[in-house]
Amino acid sequence: MSEQVWAYSGSGEVQCELMSAALELAEKSGRSAVAVELGRQREEVVAQSRLVVKGAGDDPLPEVAAEALTRAARSRHPSTILVGATRNGREVASRVAARLGWPCLSEASKLSIDGAQLQANRTVFAGKVVATVSCGLPAVVTIKPAFYPKSTASGKEVDEFDAGELTGVVKLLSRRKKEAGAVDLRKAKAIVSAGRGVKRKEDLPMLQSLAEELGGALGCSRPLSSDLGWLPEECHIGLTGVTVKPDLYVAVGISGQLQHIAGMKDSKVVVAVNTDKDAPIFQASDYGIVADLYQVVPAIKKALESRR
Amino acid sequence: MRIAVCVKHAIDETELKTGPGGRPVLEGAACKVSVFDKNAVEEALRMRSAQGGEVVAFTIGSEDARKSLKEALAMGADRGVLVVGAQASLDTGRTARTIAAAVKKEGAFDVVLCSEGSSDTYSGQVPPMLAEALGTAYVGYARKIQLEGGKAKVERLLEDSVEEVEAPMPVVVSVVSEINEPRYPTLIQIMQASKKPVQEIPESQLAVDPGSSPVAVLGMSVQTSSRKRVIIEGGPEDAAAKLIQELEKEGVLR
Repeated sequence: MSEQVWAYSGSGEVQCELMSAALELAEKSGRSAVAVELGRQREEVVAQSRLVVKGAGDDPLPEVAAEALTRAARSRHPSTILVGATRNGREVASRVAARLGWPCLSEASKLSIDGAQLQANRTVFAGKVVATVSCGLPAVVTIKPAFYPKSTASGKEVDEFDAGELTGVVKLLSRRKKEAGAVDLRKAKAIVSAGRGVKRKEDLPMLQSLAEELGGALGCSRPLSSDLGWLPEECHIGLTGVTVKPDLYVAVGISGQLQHIAGMKDSKVVVAVNTDKDAPIFQASDYGIVADLYQVVPAIKKALESRR
Repeated sequence: MRIAVCVKHAIDETELKTGPGGRPVLEGAACKVSVFDKNAVEEALRMRSAQGGEVVAFTIGSEDARKSLKEALAMGADRGVLVVGAQASLDTGRTARTIAAAVKKEGAFDVVLCSEGSSDTYSGQVPPMLAEALGTAYVGYARKIQLEGGKAKVERLLEDSVEEVEAPMPVVVSVVSEINEPRYPTLIQIMQASKKPVQEIPESQLAVDPGSSPVAVLGMSVQTSSRKRVIIEGGPEDAAAKLIQELEKEGVLR
């Protein structure tokens, strides 16, 4: 059996993305790509080949998921384990690497294998710099969600591994899904993003309606969700929030800290509105308007309406 | 209650210069405390107010890393530990094992606090790896922590859900910035911070396992922005009309 590249994520959607990365890496290096699933096979995961690890139950805490993967890896010896860099995924990857004594690359793209070395790119310094990193194999690698397209290569090959009894010291007391209805910014075609230039929470509907006029959604920079609590955390675009890449990104009253840019720099077209002509956001924009957002936003909205 | 808090002396990305060949100039680059670590320090101080005890701040790096420790001390940490000779790098496993060795050397802690990730590399791997190296429980992405009866009850903030979990102490917890608002030290506190004890531990004394295969950095290049950077002039109406024209050409309007 050829050496395997494993892909694991607790999220079915992210796992399909990881399968693209796994297939790319496997093809380049004569290995095979396997989707590793805990507990049961999930319909939303599309893969040619899968390994179902029994014993962890459905939706386990990261501590238990890590032990299940660790035991499976000790038995099956994959060359690489790709893990989706979700919040839980980062913990799983870190623990698996520590338990197996393997190196761990994070937030990797452009993966390649050269002999016994794994090479990848990753961004550092809030997206300002790309670093090329390498480590020996076997290795654990985390991959940013929404970076790779979802794989559609499907097949019927299913293998099973019984991890035995798995317990952890952390106990789950409750789990509640965040309110539905919250827009997934990662899928939005257009985003209007609000920053500290917005003076009052009551002014947000003005931006929301511009977003709707553009067929998109409303996001924000970190202060508006984390410090002021005007919008839920799901709206926070940036290094510690969501990473987005819409066709159109309109930054309104956002100064353009690198931490914010890190979350939106892959947008197709960026527009910025800010009163400060020296605001760094203009360096990261295609079109800038140096003016008061309270005059410009209604004007843009009106211009859009008259277009119809 | 003995509380350890980890702070990273991180390269200040806003001050980073580009050198020959588009490489970032890391030698002598300006550093500052990783901004998210202030939330971890704040939480440690709040725990100490509620439970009594001691807050010890840990960092690794060169002598310059004292600056980041000093920030934690100015906020209110009791003392600092600096592992000299080691460098926080993209080899997260090695970084975690180094911090773990220093924490162990300082004796038993009830809680070890970290932020979810650092402002410079943001891998988010050191906190769970630290717990693995210490052999303690770990809870990540906390937005609320309650300590009671040798246990930590933690609210975890995940992408699409919120979890409440309970972990036995000692425990390593990483916090998200939503957990609190870090305090600003007063001028007096900043001056007093210089008098607080900072212990230096040479990395060589810690006998850190280098790991089977280190993570190496082969190269770095500063990203150049390919944005058009067109400033649209005119009054609000004119500017808006011109903008719409441009966006129409770009094909990004529905």
